[in-house]
Amino acid sequence: MEMLGLSLALFGAALAAALAGIGSAIGIGVAGGAAAGVMTEDPNKFGSSLILQALPGTQGIYGLLIAFFVLNKLGLLGGAGAVALTWNQGLQILASCLPIAVVGWYSAIWQGKTSAASIQMISKKPEAMGKAIILPAMVETYAVLALLTSILMLMGVQVG
Amino acid sequence: MGVAKLKKAELYYHKSVHEQIAAALQETGACQIISTTEENQTRPAEVEALISSTEEKLADVRYLNRTLTPHYVDPIPALDRMLGERPEATMTELEELANNTDLKAICESVRAVEHETGEIRLKLSEAKLNDSILSSLAFLEYPLSIFTEGTRTVTAIAGTIKPENISGFKAALGDFSTLAQDTELILQPYNEKEKPTEVYAAVIYSRSVENEVREACSKNGFSAIEIPAFDGTAAEEKEKISASITELEAKESELAAKMVELANANMLTVQKLSDYYNSLAGRYNGTAKSDETESTMLTKFWLPANKAEEIKTKIEAISTDIDLTLSDPAPDEEPPSLLNNGSLVRPFNILTELYSSPTYRGIDPTPLLAPFFWIFFGMCLGDAGYALVVFGTILYVFKKYKKISVGVKDFIRLFLFCSVSTFIYGVISGSFFGNFVDSFVPILIPLKNSLMLVDPMTNPMQVLGISLLLGVVHLMFGLLVAAYDKLRSGDFINAIGNDISWFLFIVGLCLFGVATGGMLPPHFVQIGELMAIIGAVIIFFYAGREKKGIINKIISGFLALYGSTSYLGDILSYSRLLALGFGSAVIGMVINLLGGLAADIPYVGWLIAIVVIIGGHIFSIAINILGSFVHPLRLQYVEFFGKFYSGGGEPFTPMTLSQEYINVKA
Repeated sequence: MEMLGLSLALFGAALAAALAGIGSAIGIGVAGGAAAGVMTEDPNKFGSSLILQALPGTQGIYGLLIAFFVLNKLGLLGGAGAVALTWNQGLQILASCLPIAVVGWYSAIWQGKTSAASIQMISKKPEAMGKAIILPAMVETYAVLALLTSILMLMGVQVG
Repeated sequence: MGVAKLKKAELYYHKSVHEQIAAALQETGACQIISTTEENQTRPAEVEALISSTEEKLADVRYLNRTLTPHYVDPIPALDRMLGERPEATMTELEELANNTDLKAICESVRAVEHETGEIRLKLSEAKLNDSILSSLAFLEYPLSIFTEGTRTVTAIAGTIKPENISGFKAALGDFSTLAQDTELILQPYNEKEKPTEVYAAVIYSRSVENEVREACSKNGFSAIEIPAFDGTAAEEKEKISASITELEAKESELAAKMVELANANMLTVQKLSDYYNSLAGRYNGTAKSDETESTMLTKFWLPANKAEEIKTKIEAISTDIDLTLSDPAPDEEPPSLLNNGSLVRPFNILTELYSSPTYRGIDPTPLLAPFFWIFFGMCLGDAGYALVVFGTILYVFKKYKKISVGVKDFIRLFLFCSVSTFIYGVISGSFFGNFVDSFVPILIPLKNSLMLVDPMTNPMQVLGISLLLGVVHLMFGLLVAAYDKLRSGDFINAIGNDISWFLFIVGLCLFGVATGGMLPPHFVQIGELMAIIGAVIIFFYAGREKKGIINKIISGFLALYGSTSYLGDILSYSRLLALGFGSAVIGMVINLLGGLAADIPYVGWLIAIVVIIGGHIFSIAINILGSFVHPLRLQYVEFFGKFYSGGGEPFTPMTLSQEYINVKA
């Protein structure tokens, strides 16, 4: 039982990296399909399409960031060895990971759909690039807020 | 600062000089033609003739460009091209080139190669089709002419059949009681274990039983295939066709090489002429919008007031038969808008233009958003090391590339400016390539710590507070600008009811909160309270001013006060400044950590560590610049512009020389 806390915390880190990563992968995939379609007509759109395609990728990075944050907090990085954790503390860390895990997952998918639509838009109106970038960024707001929530929660959890 | 003053020019000139006038207006790059003609009015015949002859040349140039580009490898790397490293030419040189180039001849030679390639491809695809038919008929030893011509008494049919139908088919063929020996079924050998979906088969039969054979075929799902006219057996014919395929393919690659040769020889000329003729088409399509009499033309255009004299002198030098009058735009006219900002603000113009240009008489938000964008970008990227990398890279680019176009240069300069704020925030938040100092050069820790003013890692609430405070300042500034804009046009009621009231309310609440928390002297509590109450009262009564009945007035008043939740949302939106700055710092930290772990690997560890650290930080810079650009931009567009700015102006688009491929000098 004494390892339960550590396991719960690791489960949280895994969820953050995995779910947000899955979301980003789907989002980038959706946007990439649209980009490839546009580029069959006009290969010069590669640069601007790539920027739009990259936008839903940040959720995966936020998830990774939280996972590393947890690992660092647990002392699993470097040679120091894991800190002792009660199951309650482990559960607290798991809870802290949930905002970015869930919101990162969903928001990346929807951001990918918005990016795909924006890519369609610049295929017709290349001068609208500014607006095309802002629309997917509106979705990302909630991933940023979730990241912030996860960070603040993690900082609040006392371990060791 | 702000939207540039424009003048409206009315230019009368004799038709004999219309070409020079068109060229001069285009070369200034500062004249936007105003259409004086109606939609269906005929255009001046002289200009019309020039347009159609130019279009004719353009059609050839476009054909060559489209056909040759896929066969052409640009000797100039795309990045260099974007940064202005392109061939140069003056318009006079281009004109000379145009006169000495026989476009028709080039087109003809390209067309000939294209045509021949098409024919070869057609033959090749036919040969490949026959080749595949012959491969599937390889099991037949009879000459193939039996299928097309037959002999006097015997003919044959070839096709495919499903394996499960074969036994039925055999039975049907054997059923011809009179002459079962008059038919022969030959099947493609197949392996039953592989379960092929269909098998090739041929039926050779006496002409006397033709109808019966056809019927047996159609009843048993035998689908016939067309056999082209051949003399020999399948194997013999296949050999011949393989030989011709090799020959055709050789010819095809020969033609492709010829096309590459043509592309290499002509592409530069084509690109130059493309810019030349597009310039001509642009200028004549501009002056085609003029009014005319029998021998004179009237062209109207907008031009920036500060260039008016220079342009006037230039045009009046062309001929004496010219009359140019300049006037200010009339109140009912809506001129286009041109942003005119000093060199410190100009790089930020693109942020306004990406959203929507202001109207001619509207406010230019660029100088207003510039300082905020600068600070926000700095907080989001927030790393002194990254700032140095960006700054150094840009200086290198500016040093190496001297011919960068103005637009691209301004955009790069935007990042140059922002790298300064990034550096400052990086220093005061103690971030240098993440936690590079703590991890690898502990000797510098005291220096780093002595410069730190905030510490997002251990005290994020402090930075969150700063972020939200910046948000309040940004939003309140937006409200004041909105109030100023309304007061300017004399709209006092809405300025006070819509903007100043909310300003008082929110600033009052903030002062009240901060002073209650003990961070300001206690008398600010009362000041804050007073401001908030005055603000709330104005909001309450302003909202209900047009409603009938006391109940409706009260309801709409409370609904308006409930609108404060949207301000709460706006302010919280600035928490992204903390989150993104935090993101860059933690990603940097992770990279250093991985580098540190890699360094523990025996013998090659230091090498892997260097690769991880350099590669990782380059990745981090790229991804974080994207975020640091997009999110502060959103704060301008959604939160800030939402208070006062909607754009909607027509951007100033003067006639300019086309410079798609080369740098054209006037």
